[in-house]
Amino acid sequence: MERYGRVTKEIYDELLALLGRGGVVMNDAEALDNYAWDQAGRIWGRMPEAVVKPADSAQVAAVMKIASRERIPVTPRGAGSGLNGGAVPLAGGIVLSLERMNRILEIDPINRVAVVEPGVVTNDLCRAVAEHGFLYAGYPMSTETSFIGGNFATNAGGGKVIRYGNTRRHVLGVEAVLPNGEIIELGGRFRKDTWGYSLLSLLAGSEGTLAVVTKLIVNLEPAPGKTVNLLACYPTLEELVESVAKVIGSGRRIISCEFMDRNLVKYTTEYLGCSLPEQERSEGYLLIQIEGDTEAQLEDGYETVGKICLECGAFEVFVAESRTDSAAMWSVRQNGLEGMRARDPHACASGDLMVPLSAVPEMIRRIKKISEEWKVEIGIISHIGDGNIHPIPLKPEGMTPERWAVYAEEFFAVLIGEAIALGGVGSGEHGVGHVKQKILTESKSAAELEVLRGVKRAFDPLGIMNPGKMFSPLD
Amino acid sequence: MRIAVLVKQVPAVDTVKIDETTGTMIRDGVEAELNPLDLHAVEAAVRIKESRAAGEVEITAVTMGPPAARKAVKYAIAMGCDRGLLLSDRKFGGADTLATARTLSRALLKAGPFDLLFAGERATDGETGQVGPACAKLMGVSVLSYVSAIDDLTDESIRVVRAVEGGHETVEAPLPAIVIPVKEMNIPRLCTLSGKLRAKTAEIPLETAEGLFMAEEETGLKGSATQVVNVTYPKVTRQGRRVVAAEGLERAVEAVMGLLEEKNALEEAK
Repeated sequence: MERYGRVTKEIYDELLALLGRGGVVMNDAEALDNYAWDQAGRIWGRMPEAVVKPADSAQVAAVMKIASRERIPVTPRGAGSGLNGGAVPLAGGIVLSLERMNRILEIDPINRVAVVEPGVVTNDLCRAVAEHGFLYAGYPMSTETSFIGGNFATNAGGGKVIRYGNTRRHVLGVEAVLPNGEIIELGGRFRKDTWGYSLLSLLAGSEGTLAVVTKLIVNLEPAPGKTVNLLACYPTLEELVESVAKVIGSGRRIISCEFMDRNLVKYTTEYLGCSLPEQERSEGYLLIQIEGDTEAQLEDGYETVGKICLECGAFEVFVAESRTDSAAMWSVRQNGLEGMRARDPHACASGDLMVPLSAVPEMIRRIKKISEEWKVEIGIISHIGDGNIHPIPLKPEGMTPERWAVYAEEFFAVLIGEAIALGGVGSGEHGVGHVKQKILTESKSAAELEVLRGVKRAFDPLGIMNPGKMFSPLD
Repeated sequence: MRIAVLVKQVPAVDTVKIDETTGTMIRDGVEAELNPLDLHAVEAAVRIKESRAAGEVEITAVTMGPPAARKAVKYAIAMGCDRGLLLSDRKFGGADTLATARTLSRALLKAGPFDLLFAGERATDGETGQVGPACAKLMGVSVLSYVSAIDDLTDESIRVVRAVEGGHETVEAPLPAIVIPVKEMNIPRLCTLSGKLRAKTAEIPLETAEGLFMAEEETGLKGSATQVVNVTYPKVTRQGRRVVAAEGLERAVEAVMGLLEEKNALEEAK
């Protein structure tokens, strides 16, 4: 017997009756192709048999009941902006796109939460709550496109984690549909919960392998104070990385501490048609955002932190208070991946190393050394303040894209090995998907894997939720 | 060589809102910043200073505004200007471009002589672009507007390239002159930490109406030749029609074509 059922004509008709014409895509290769791959690259893609676009949780539940009955694999999908193939339907079957569930249902100022559907673009949420004087503190760098549901599914981090934490910390409750179509509610409009195991924490970062999240209650912070941005230019990476822990330990309100290396800045400024100051002399930049309630606090913040950078070897520190200057500093950071991909469309974005802050200097050294040994040109972009490093390698000239897909992951496997040896993990915020599935499985102990698989079985005994991802290879 | 740069503090917003009843700008709760176009003027001046030997060029940033406008001058100092000057007095309030230029030129003559002056193309709040040229007129110096490059600068004269309709023209003028750059002239630098620290401790002298020997009817609202008497906003109405493809796409396309024909839009497009 085949492990998985197929989406037959009868099932298609059943889905059609359930969701209407706009809610089901099948037999349309062009339309299906849009759901076959994510930002890991086309090479990691796989065609679905059908795409469904439910409009509410009842429809999600009905789809899951059909899928369970027929043992059809279901891959939940947000904006498709993931970097490790998490939303790719590896076993075919149904892609369950949450794009139509895109409403901000409520902004609740008393409980300081917003209730949203998973297809809301995170940036739209940030804007909407800002109008009510709140901050949604999740800030993945791809907020212009990524969905809040996808942020939760990957436990996304981004540029403000050192101050506010990652997505798990921002989501206080969810409504989720289990593989058998049952609807459960976890957490709520509160911030303390010792009422049993936290399945909510478990769902954060589960990449659609356990359930489909259909509603989220997110935490709102008070609107932030004023901010100032510093751009510190370093003649060597050694000096740069050594200063990071001192910056973080300065006692000032550091919102972001980001690192960009020479290559990344070169290719991104070429792509954007702009420049950063002192580009010729700088091996790397730190971009630091500091918050303060008053002008005096801001001044104290940039003076203290700026002096630390200079003492650690930065040859210049620039200060941006205005919108224009701040935007100029940040646009290079925000467009780093695009810049590398403009240089080489095969630039690989799946590198997401995570090490303790104290190990950052050694990790950077090893990345440089290993990329030289592997004859791979890299650009590095990093949320260095929390030890999260994204080396972005470019495909060596003459190598086929097929070979490169394998080569790059072998390269990352070595780097991940180094990160783990330094007390870290192989992914900080992008997730595992199927691109990193093998490396993750190899790096976990048998005992841990047994528990993980038990959890997976408890949620999804038929194994239909996003098969082939995280620690479960496709049979 | 002594250079002066005229700068202005403006609200840090994309669109300025005007109170329709009073005709004045709504400044409440709006952050202020140095007028973005003035940054190019400051940058141009600082580049001249950097191209000469140390101490050979001194730049003064001059502004007129409320006491808080001191911040705009400090910003210019952080970028590389040497000194600042703030013209601030209740009597200066409500000045139009003529009264502003009269006040500024009086202060420039007093603090001068300057060999070269710079001003921004226009302020993003008032959008007049008149104050720089008016100062030149009142001070009797040449005005070089829409300048995209400085070709040559000696102690006696300046040669600049002007961006004019259909091309560029090169113009030479004796000093003193006032140069008004266009955005394309340069990319303003970011302030360095050391610049910020220097600006923080810089004393910004204050100039008042009394110090400039200006009578009330020469400056501020009373000295203004123009007055805002009425402000209205155009009412935006959308006359779009929405065609829903409830009965199939073809019907909807037909309906859209019908609407276009009704408006004679198809004829015009031909």
